[in-house]
Amino acid sequence: MKALSSRKFILMGLLPATLIYALFVFVPVIWSSYYGFFDWSGIGEAHYIGFDNYVEIFRDPIFWTALNNNIIFVLASVFGQIPIALIVAILVQKDGRLTRFLRTAVFMPMVLSTVVIGMIWQYIYHPQIGILNFLLQALGLESWQRVWLSEDYGIFSLIPPLIWSFVGLYLIIFIAALQNIPGEIHDAANLDGATGARKLWSVTLPMIKGTIIVAVVLCISGSLKSFDLVYIMTRGGPAHATELLATYMYNSTFSSYRYGFGSAISTTIVLISLVLIGISQWIMSLKSKSKT
Amino acid sequence: MRRWTKTAAGLLLSSMVVVSACGGNGGNNEGGTAGDKVKLTVWHNWTGQDGKAIAMRGLLEQFEADHPNIELETEGLPTDGLKTRLRTVAAANEMPDLFVMWPDVMTKEFVGGDLIQPINDYLDSKPEWRDNFIENALDGYTVDDNIYSVPMNLAPTSFIYYNQAIFDEHNVSVPQTWDELLAAVETFKEGGVIPIALGNKANWFVQSTIFSTIGDRITGSDWFLKAASQDGASFTDPQFVEALEKLQELGEAGAFQQGFNSIDENQMVQLYFQGKAAMFISGGWAMANVVSNAPEDILSQTHVALLPAIEGGAGDPASTAGVVGTGMGISSKLEGARKDAAMELLYALAGPEGQQATLDSATLVSYNIPLDESKASPLFVELYNLMQDTKISPVYDSKLSSAAVEVTNNSLQELLNGGDPQTIAQRIQDAQAAAVKRQ
Repeated sequence: MKALSSRKFILMGLLPATLIYALFVFVPVIWSSYYGFFDWSGIGEAHYIGFDNYVEIFRDPIFWTALNNNIIFVLASVFGQIPIALIVAILVQKDGRLTRFLRTAVFMPMVLSTVVIGMIWQYIYHPQIGILNFLLQALGLESWQRVWLSEDYGIFSLIPPLIWSFVGLYLIIFIAALQNIPGEIHDAANLDGATGARKLWSVTLPMIKGTIIVAVVLCISGSLKSFDLVYIMTRGGPAHATELLATYMYNSTFSSYRYGFGSAISTTIVLISLVLIGISQWIMSLKSKSKT
Repeated sequence: MRRWTKTAAGLLLSSMVVVSACGGNGGNNEGGTAGDKVKLTVWHNWTGQDGKAIAMRGLLEQFEADHPNIELETEGLPTDGLKTRLRTVAAANEMPDLFVMWPDVMTKEFVGGDLIQPINDYLDSKPEWRDNFIENALDGYTVDDNIYSVPMNLAPTSFIYYNQAIFDEHNVSVPQTWDELLAAVETFKEGGVIPIALGNKANWFVQSTIFSTIGDRITGSDWFLKAASQDGASFTDPQFVEALEKLQELGEAGAFQQGFNSIDENQMVQLYFQGKAAMFISGGWAMANVVSNAPEDILSQTHVALLPAIEGGAGDPASTAGVVGTGMGISSKLEGARKDAAMELLYALAGPEGQQATLDSATLVSYNIPLDESKASPLFVELYNLMQDTKISPVYDSKLSSAAVEVTNNSLQELLNGGDPQTIAQRIQDAQAAAVKRQ
């Protein structure tokens, strides 16, 4: 009896959140996948065309460029943001004036709007008056000067601002996790004579493993959704060279005005995300099984 | 739901007007004035600090001051943002009451969706206004003999803005032919000056300001209109491929500074303002920016010219690509007092006074009014006089479908980076053919 009523209470408590989630996330996803079967310009009649939009997506070379770029983004985020954040977190976890300053400095980009970050980096990369090319010249490295946001280098030039803007988030997460390791464990490690690198590998990192996994998942899903930075800095150009899945969807919907086609792309993005998250879950479950 | 409440509110308002008008003399005025207020939502793109934006915002304020019974709820958005927002609300059938709207493709699509209403009756009630527009000015707003708006300006899209001092220093005269242009590019390059500043990050820029004119010079307008409607001409025709090759030739000659695909129009004009570039190519809209923001020494040396003639081309060399400018669309949901108020606002913005204010702010208009040369900037007088003997040819993005425009814009970026003209022509053809078939 008591169990039942508490279960009822839990259900009732969950209801508002579930309703809001269903209304603003689930329903639009279904709705949009429904539109994916239509040829619709957003105005006037929509024509049902079955799977034609999907066939077109998979035949469209721009889709494959976008997917490829998106995978570059995911890899760069996972192998860029997380190690850097972790190293910095370990270095600055102790309280002190300098470390506090460093923490704030690394966290700074998180409080800047993406538009500001995009503008800053656009001027850093500016081909004529950019700081980067100017610095290279001052150092006598003229041969290294590039048109950074061009067809050839654009997608790689977008990686530093991407990493720079999100490192702060993971830094904070890692610092919190590091500070949550009980002091007794450190004391025990010290008694056993584990110090320095040994303590880091055998004690500290295993203790925050859960946090690292969460950070990786956040990182994958975050970088799959990347849109704003790229849209501000290159708009997916030049000539689709820096197109991501999200900008491809946006440009198809709001530049070409093909709402049906754009909806089909959104649905494809959802499916790709589900597959990637499924794979990462599977890999992690394999790992935890092999441990036990 | 919202629609219902709006109509109900509208009906209520108009009935109150009738009631208060009937019992009008000496009645309770206080309650009446508050209830009589007609509210209109207005979306525009006059957000900048250039002369035209300031003038148009001034007209809106003036209108509100002159009409205490009309309340305007205005919202300014940058041009690209406004276009996107309009499409989004169009999909949801929730247009604002009045909004800045583009001729040709956008007007046709909105008419097709039954989103805007014709203004024929109002226009006919003011014949002296209707008949004073320049030839063909209303074509872009006319669908099946119904006129849906009138242009508030004129937007020729390609002029060369050049710095006379730099030209003199390098002994170059304004290029009249394609070969002279290529020679000038060579000279400036050797002299360490950027020949033509270009900012094509928003990828419509090359298409609208350079390629539409080069294309017209070579293919002629007739061919282009046929190809756009896929009626007897195709974008794979040799003349179109030649036009693509010409643009590529200009790019390969080093006419534009490095990285032109990664900077935007403002940064492009900055390069020119800093004296680093001898020319830039842009539309009539750049004038308001040059006149109000260029450093004094640059402004005094700046002149405008048409793009050079191209030998053997089918087009008229005394022409520039262009469109009649934006107009105000009026939502099809407006009726009664609110419709009347909307028409009045249209007249305030696009009527003789509005056109005069636009012209005074260094923006060309599609309306026959003389320019007061003593008041205007000398550079604008030059542009105004240049336009008197210049014809307007179609801009690509006003005639092609949205999907084909997007393909063209991206392909031109690729073309300038060494893409194959033949392949690109085929791609544009495919996109336009598919869009025409869908219609």
